[in-house]
Amino acid sequence: MEIVEGETSCAGKKKHKKKDRNRSVFIFFCILPAILFLVIFLYYPIEETFRLSLTKTTGLSKEVFVGTDNYQRLFHDEEFFAGLKHVFSWAFWSIVIQLPLSFFIAFSLTYYSNRFTRPLQAVFFLPNVLPSAITAMLGKFVFAPNYGLIVSLGKVLGWKWLASIDFLGNPNLAFWAIFAIATWAYSGFYVIYLMSRIEQIPRELREAAELDGASMWSYARRIVLPELNYPLRILAVLCTVGSLKLFDLPNMMTTGGPGNATVTLGITLYRHGFINWNYGKAAAIGVVIFVLSLVFTILQFSLGRKKDEAI
Amino acid sequence: MKKSRIFALCFLIVCLFSTAVLSADEVKLTIWGRDIPDDSADHAYVHALINGFQAKYPDVKIDYIALGDPGLADKTKITMATGSGLPDIFQTWGGSVMGGYADAGMLFDLTNELKGIPCSDAARQAMTWKGKIYGVAPFFAVAGIFVNEGIFKANNLKVPATIEEFDKVCDALKAKGIQPFACGEKDKWPALALYMYLTNRYGGDASAKAAARQIPYDSDAFVKAAQLYQSWIKKGYFGATPLGEGYGDAQQLMATGKAAMHITGSWMCAQYANSEFTDQTIGFYAFPAFKSGGVGTVNDIMGQTDIGFAATKVAASKKDAVVKFLKYAMSTEACEAEPGRICSVPGVKAKSSLTAQAAAVFATAKTVTFWWDQDLPPSVTSPLNDMLQTFFLPGADVKKSLSSFEALCVENIGPVKK
Amino acid sequence: MRMRREQSAGRGRSSSRVHYGMSEIIITIVLVVLAVITIFPLVVPLLFAFKTQLEFAYHPWAIPEALRWNNFAEAWKAVRIDQGLLNTLIVCFGSILCTIPSAVLAGYVFARYRSRVTEILFYAILIGYFVPVQMVLVPLYRMEVSLKMNDTLYGLFLPMAAFGIPFWTLIYRSFFKSLPRELAEAASIDGAGHTKTFFRVMLPLAQPATVLAVLQVFMGAWNDYLLSLILLSDQNKFTMQLRVASFLNSYGTDRMPRYAAAVIISALPTLILYLVGHRWIIKGMLSGAIKE
Repeated sequence: MEIVEGETSCAGKKKHKKKDRNRSVFIFFCILPAILFLVIFLYYPIEETFRLSLTKTTGLSKEVFVGTDNYQRLFHDEEFFAGLKHVFSWAFWSIVIQLPLSFFIAFSLTYYSNRFTRPLQAVFFLPNVLPSAITAMLGKFVFAPNYGLIVSLGKVLGWKWLASIDFLGNPNLAFWAIFAIATWAYSGFYVIYLMSRIEQIPRELREAAELDGASMWSYARRIVLPELNYPLRILAVLCTVGSLKLFDLPNMMTTGGPGNATVTLGITLYRHGFINWNYGKAAAIGVVIFVLSLVFTILQFSLGRKKDEAI
Repeated sequence: MKKSRIFALCFLIVCLFSTAVLSADEVKLTIWGRDIPDDSADHAYVHALINGFQAKYPDVKIDYIALGDPGLADKTKITMATGSGLPDIFQTWGGSVMGGYADAGMLFDLTNELKGIPCSDAARQAMTWKGKIYGVAPFFAVAGIFVNEGIFKANNLKVPATIEEFDKVCDALKAKGIQPFACGEKDKWPALALYMYLTNRYGGDASAKAAARQIPYDSDAFVKAAQLYQSWIKKGYFGATPLGEGYGDAQQLMATGKAAMHITGSWMCAQYANSEFTDQTIGFYAFPAFKSGGVGTVNDIMGQTDIGFAATKVAASKKDAVVKFLKYAMSTEACEAEPGRICSVPGVKAKSSLTAQAAAVFATAKTVTFWWDQDLPPSVTSPLNDMLQTFFLPGADVKKSLSSFEALCVENIGPVKK
Repeated sequence: MRMRREQSAGRGRSSSRVHYGMSEIIITIVLVVLAVITIFPLVVPLLFAFKTQLEFAYHPWAIPEALRWNNFAEAWKAVRIDQGLLNTLIVCFGSILCTIPSAVLAGYVFARYRSRVTEILFYAILIGYFVPVQMVLVPLYRMEVSLKMNDTLYGLFLPMAAFGIPFWTLIYRSFFKSLPRELAEAASIDGAGHTKTFFRVMLPLAQPATVLAVLQVFMGAWNDYLLSLILLSDQNKFTMQLRVASFLNSYGTDRMPRYAAAVIISALPTLILYLVGHRWIIKGMLSGAIKE
């Protein structure tokens, strides 16, 4: 695990020591600004979250220490479990659907760079330009009953089954409607990130593959995917942590409904904190989000780590 | 040269000093509201209030900040929780949310200054918490039935005078391909008005008793009301997709004549009377009672503050200006600008006939019940609206939903006292 | 060579240069279709913004009867770009200037100077990414008040940077990790110190990540609503997005045409910026191939 930057020259011991000190000083000053920002702005709120999760308070009233009571209550909270379930399936499906889709787009765009595809490089990122309130509004217009885009399309085509689907009101479909909008809105970032990483792969590899008559698919599988192992894992971390914190889109499109069909941990947290004035419980959910994020990040980084070190 | 420079410097200092003195004389009021004070008809009152007050009292500088719907609530909550950065005055519906701020000592008791302002009892009650008045409610909203008069006339239907008549009317409307009720239950709270009425018509003051923990929320009146509600949903009176429609969608259904009735607050009067918003003729009626077997009457009305303002503790140092503003908010001069809402100030005439109808309904009120989701402790309000949404889910067991809501109330408010 | 493969492994669609043209055509068509799906929802507000309320209520998807500009006029007045834009730009650039240098330095060290200590520090920074924003609002606000930073623009972009740094540290770390080790070694043989190696060799190679970061941090700051809402109270310091949001929220979606007009006005500056700069952005982002 520990890797020390290669000091190639065999200089004398003194020189080596001096270099070592330079190295530490360099490391120190590089990390300092980032750490300072975190210490000043985030550590206190994080600490507060942990502390408040052990108290009962409306945020306005006095804080009463209740131990792990808030956590125990979460175990009996249907909404919390619904949120937990949705968060995990959201993470799972983002990794299974959004990432491969983004990879396909990113890879094809860079592999077949022709007259038609080159202008498209900029297009897929466009939905990222919008704030989430507007993304949610557009989502409602696509999936709304009566006049929504898909329903209207069904009416025009005379397909009754399509015209009668209630995407946002059907507990089995609402999740997928929001997920579709999220895929539309968020994949742009994955696409350009992967594109930039694919471009890092030395050109010679592709030329060699082409000389050998390797198809696009085998080139993608044999050369590109292994090279993108680490970036893809990072995106998987983003998907997971993003799902755990997910709030904006489901809150604005369905407020977590119908029933608990689209509740997420983020929505439960907001609701307990801001609407129900149950600040201690909100903090407990915050801690759960925090801990789960940490666990999954460590897991995702340590899975397949050895391969990664070889790069 | 040097002298002139010194003179200039002295002059500058004097100038600065005098402006400092002047600005110390000028009182500045920070007010957080919901709507932007532009020329739109929906915002006519806020527009008149801010501009009118500024013109009348130039010595008080108004800094009005429009924050929109979730924005106002969230920002107010956070500043109240930290006790710093409070505005002098903020817009509120009163009720338990304002009460929570009052309990935390964040509000400014203005009982003596405000009790003399002429105002309807219900509106004053909404801005009172534990016997102290913290603000004013120039406009009050009551729930009733918005009815598309054209549709009813064309189909020879009469607005139901008893709850029993709803089935016949709704079936007739459905047969014509018109959705009987618009609701917008995707947003959860829109179902509340009708449920409150049904509960009251079955059980009278059941909700007050339940809130005071004398009866549970899964007692008879609540269950019966929920069952009736659910049977209407199952018969398709709320259309095929009530859960996919938001409150805005429900308004569109009314505005385009696709739905015949909308049971909601009178705040919709301005838009439903506006020819730019709808080309239908819409009327407002009180929600009827049961012909037989019920307790509540037509004179039991549901409603609460439509626009209200309360003062915070930082306003204590500028009491005069704050009272001036709150009084101006209740003046006929400012209130007359409003095209649609029901004014709590006696003597302010309704501008549209629709508002006049709503005001007439309000005038018949013998009791006024505040919105449960604004009047119950905040800890149970969002679960309440969640529960209402479950009524609309296929195969929902309303009794079970009510029982789990009751369990939550036991946990957060307390058990039923015997 | 190692990538030589059996034809049968290509799963039917398979390889060989004969079909090369065909699959390029198919994939190009698929990409164009996906791009159209991506763009279409962005055009929707244009369809709504020129309509009257009633026209919209009856025929939301029809072509507008006439080009009516009054929705834009209303939205324009409320959004007040003249005042909000400068604040927004200050926040955007402040956020970029604080986030990116901190993240690039930290990410570099975490990628190239790994030891137990730096690994722990990496997680110490990364945990900032795990905090849900709604949770920290109250403590953050309280802290800013005690530091007398609330209601200032730097009081907004500094915490914004703190929220962004963990994420971008992670991204930069992955970028630097994938650069060939020999590059740094070559530089160090040439006698370049740590600082010199970083600025001369490594930083330019991280350009794709930097372009990506600038773009994304800019968008994040531009579109931020919640933090700005809580941390700013003085209207003169309101960002554009805050004004847009209060305009939108005080009408709600039931006034769609006006809403759509405001959406267009608020998204236009970023859209123009992106369209003008996208060539440079894409070029910068795709300049990763290492020239030897």
